[in-house]
Amino acid sequence: MIAPLKTRLSLVWLALSAITVISWWIGSKHGQQAFVSSAAITYSVILMAALKIRVIVSEFMEVRHAPPLLRHLMDAWLAFLVISLLGLYSIGARF
Amino acid sequence: MKNAAGPAAQRIPGQPDMWAFVLLEACIFSSYFIVYMLLRARDPALYLRSQEHLSQNFGVLNTLILLISSWFMARCVQAALEQRYDTALRQVLLTGFCGLVFVVSKVFEWSQKISEGIQFSSNEFFSFYYFLTAIHVLHVLIGFVVLGVVVYQLRSPLRRSQQIVETGATYWHMVDFLWVIIFALLYVMR
Repeated sequence: MIAPLKTRLSLVWLALSAITVISWWIGSKHGQQAFVSSAAITYSVILMAALKIRVIVSEFMEVRHAPPLLRHLMDAWLAFLVISLLGLYSIGARF
Repeated sequence: MKNAAGPAAQRIPGQPDMWAFVLLEACIFSSYFIVYMLLRARDPALYLRSQEHLSQNFGVLNTLILLISSWFMARCVQAALEQRYDTALRQVLLTGFCGLVFVVSKVFEWSQKISEGIQFSSNEFFSFYYFLTAIHVLHVLIGFVVLGVVVYQLRSPLRRSQQIVETGATYWHMVDFLWVIIFALLYVMR
């Protein structure tokens, strides 16, 4: 089913906002923000940020209609960034 | 029914030059983020302690404001495509208003930090905090010029170029997605 574009844009915005609130909530415990090292929080927050970026790029920036080269370049950049960030975090946690 | 630009009509939104710029900016900001992660790994305790001084609520609010602004901008592009130029103009002005709210809230947040005695040189984390948020706000300010061009295009029937409206939107959405990572790295990661 394909929603009219206006509805689709609103749904996209709603989803992005929901992910934002969830990532904020993940960092908190009992209404208080927890400031202890946590790989679970970091992984989920960075992956959710990546998801948000991919949705912004493909829906708002209309890359889903763009030639494959542009889509692949944006995906390659995002994959590189996420792997670098999570990789550095994981390696750093061992020292 | 598919919308106007179906899968068959593959095309680059806006000017290709703007996409080259977006990729360049994405790489430049990635280098900042990677250096941040590298240095953070050397002293995570310092970063966690410092993160505690940031207002998480501010961070979430900033993110939501920019997401709303991007939503308005996407609707502006759609309205211009459907030749509803008055609506498109209203949407781009709303985008700019959200951008303004974002900048004002950032200035307020910085002044709060400074009054608490937290400065650029307070520690490594806060150097990153001021640097990343300031360079991002600079991009928002440049975004106002970009939105100004879109407004200029939309106001006169003689100018209206869909391609320039889309180019402006591409820039604005880039500013939004760069903030998404800054928010994750500075405010919420642990």
